[in-house]
Amino acid sequence: MFNYRIIGLLKRELKEKLLSKTFIIMTLAIPAFMILVLGMQALLFSYDGDENTKLKLITESEELTQSFKSEFEELPFIKNNYYDFEYFTKSKNELTKYLEEKKSDLLDEKLSGIIFISDSTKNTKHVSYYSKTPNNATITEKLSGYINKVLVNNYFQHKNLSEADLDFARTRVDFTGFKVSEDQEIEEEGYGNLVLSYLFTFLLYISLIMMGQMTMQSVMEEKSSRVAEVLLSSVSSKELMTGKILGASITGVFQMAVWLIPLILVTFTAIFTLPAEFSFSISIGQIVYLLFNFFLGLITFLGLFAMIGSIFENSQDAQSGMWPILMLIMIPFFIAMSLVRNPASPIALIASMFPFASIIVMPARMTLADVPIWQFILSIVISFATIIAIFPFAGKIFRVGILRTGKKPSWGEIVKWLKYKY
Amino acid sequence: MNALEVKNLTKTFNGITAVNNASFEVPEGSIFGLIGRNGAGKTTTIRIMMNIYMPDSGEVILRGTKVGQEFKNKVGYLPEERGLYKKMKVLDTLLFFAEIKGKLGKDVTKKALDYLDRFDLLDRKDAKVEDLSKGNQQKVQFISTILHDPEFIILDEPFSGLDPINTNLLKEIILEEKKKNKVIILSTHLMDFAEKMSDHIAMINHGKIILNGSLSEIKKKYSQKNVSLTYEGNISFLHHNPIIDKISDYGNTTGIRVNDTSQIQQLLKLLVENNIVVKNFSANEISLQEIFVELAGKIDDEILEVKNV
Repeated sequence: MFNYRIIGLLKRELKEKLLSKTFIIMTLAIPAFMILVLGMQALLFSYDGDENTKLKLITESEELTQSFKSEFEELPFIKNNYYDFEYFTKSKNELTKYLEEKKSDLLDEKLSGIIFISDSTKNTKHVSYYSKTPNNATITEKLSGYINKVLVNNYFQHKNLSEADLDFARTRVDFTGFKVSEDQEIEEEGYGNLVLSYLFTFLLYISLIMMGQMTMQSVMEEKSSRVAEVLLSSVSSKELMTGKILGASITGVFQMAVWLIPLILVTFTAIFTLPAEFSFSISIGQIVYLLFNFFLGLITFLGLFAMIGSIFENSQDAQSGMWPILMLIMIPFFIAMSLVRNPASPIALIASMFPFASIIVMPARMTLADVPIWQFILSIVISFATIIAIFPFAGKIFRVGILRTGKKPSWGEIVKWLKYKY
Repeated sequence: MNALEVKNLTKTFNGITAVNNASFEVPEGSIFGLIGRNGAGKTTTIRIMMNIYMPDSGEVILRGTKVGQEFKNKVGYLPEERGLYKKMKVLDTLLFFAEIKGKLGKDVTKKALDYLDRFDLLDRKDAKVEDLSKGNQQKVQFISTILHDPEFIILDEPFSGLDPINTNLLKEIILEEKKKNKVIILSTHLMDFAEKMSDHIAMINHGKIILNGSLSEIKKKYSQKNVSLTYEGNISFLHHNPIIDKISDYGNTTGIRVNDTSQIQQLLKLLVENNIVVKNFSANEISLQEIFVELAGKIDDEILEVKNV
């Protein structure tokens, strides 16, 4: 199968891709870009934008008002005037009047909101919040714990309970995850593997799309610049396609390996250490699996991208032909993203071994759940079978398409190509 | 002996017959002209000969066996629509195309540099192809066609886009290759070039071979009763003369056919008597273009008639 012609084509592809400035820049820029995106996200979530919140807290009894006041004035974000509170005691009827008075202030946002704690609240914990934007989660989430505390204190105050009992009642349930797997000891799991599953999903997705576009472009260039005809006077269309796809697949796996170097260093050396909550567990076997299955995935997808490139002569036309293949990448991408919620779902199980999907889904799944060896093997067998199934078609369309010029063919015509004797 | 035999090739695309039962032979050591108008089926025939397309029926025999990959290794092909990798450097391009033919090493590099020197491109060897002028790209493409020392050289419209100096250089190299006993197939619509260079020809029109054989024999056959004339004056008086079979105007020259060889002297006499300034009068001479127009015209007439019925 490997003759000097394929090797010649392969060498050219590798030289053109691996040593191109674009490729080197992209390989380095994508991890940097991802760190930037993650950082931005963290920053946006940590920024609440609720400075200078002005609130009025109203209860129906003077005693309760005082308990809120004494509790709240100790809170750091109220102490430093981040939140500005005023406390009143008013009956329900008085409140209605008060709301009328303050309506314009609320609408002008001079006042952020009015919290009303009625007498019944003491038993039901139903709190009323009057505001122009009552669904502002930042304010309600921030305050609900403290309001609860005051209400709990108030409720148990006269019930002869010790402070220890109260503390117990106030404490919330805290889950600690322990991962049970076949070969390892039961160990506490941090967020590390969660981050890892996102990381794998993103990197695989980006790399598939990037290498796919590159391959499609280069086939289209060979077609439109008519190099294809010169090449086909030396090599067969099969050899041309093989050389091209192997070249790009090796480039893609190399890129992925470069991206995974930090991971390998963290796992197997003591050069870097991560804080405990970000520690993750992955085996060298899993990394090898990821790279190998990705290699098979690249061959599959690049075969399809090369086929699309051979059909069309310019990028605009190719965009329209590309979407079915993009769907084959995007659906697994979304499945892999949703895995974080429940890595044991049947969808995850099937998708992690399904043709086209296993490339992205399995790496995400293996970081979150214990995957038996036979499933790894099955996913690889299925990836191989997919290649064997699609290449006769892709190869035939490639062979006809690469020499065809002129008007953009319809899907019907492309189906007819499969029957051509070429 | 024949190097290549093309036997009954037929190829249809979407119901349109591009090549229709075409047969011809390419003898060893010859320059073979495949002649026809644009769209006549030359490129498709060549692609089938090189195993790029599979024919619907028929076969191509290379020295006794059917063509396949083996022929691809022995051939150098210059397609009509030139194609090179735009971002690749000139020398890299040449070495790459030689490598996929199985030729690599110092000898090839040296040869590539020699050719570049000959074509006045040595100083551009590290330039990207896209930075070269169209004519220079053409030259690079030609070098890549012959660098691996192929036994067969197939040139599709090799002179299009070349200036006269480079056209001559190209001709010189083609003749040099011929001396090395290479088989050269020249596909062109320019009858003039084909006539000057080819030993054997095949004329193709609407996918059919309408004429095929040694150029000298073909000319001998068609030139009888024919006069190639260059003149000044008005020869319209000849139109109704009983000795004249046909008058064809080709611009610079006029082809005149008489009804019998013995009437050629009579024709010359008539011209002189009518005060026509005869600048050139070649008896029993005919250009390839005249033959082509005559044959292709006849076929077109037939096709028209069929369509009208």
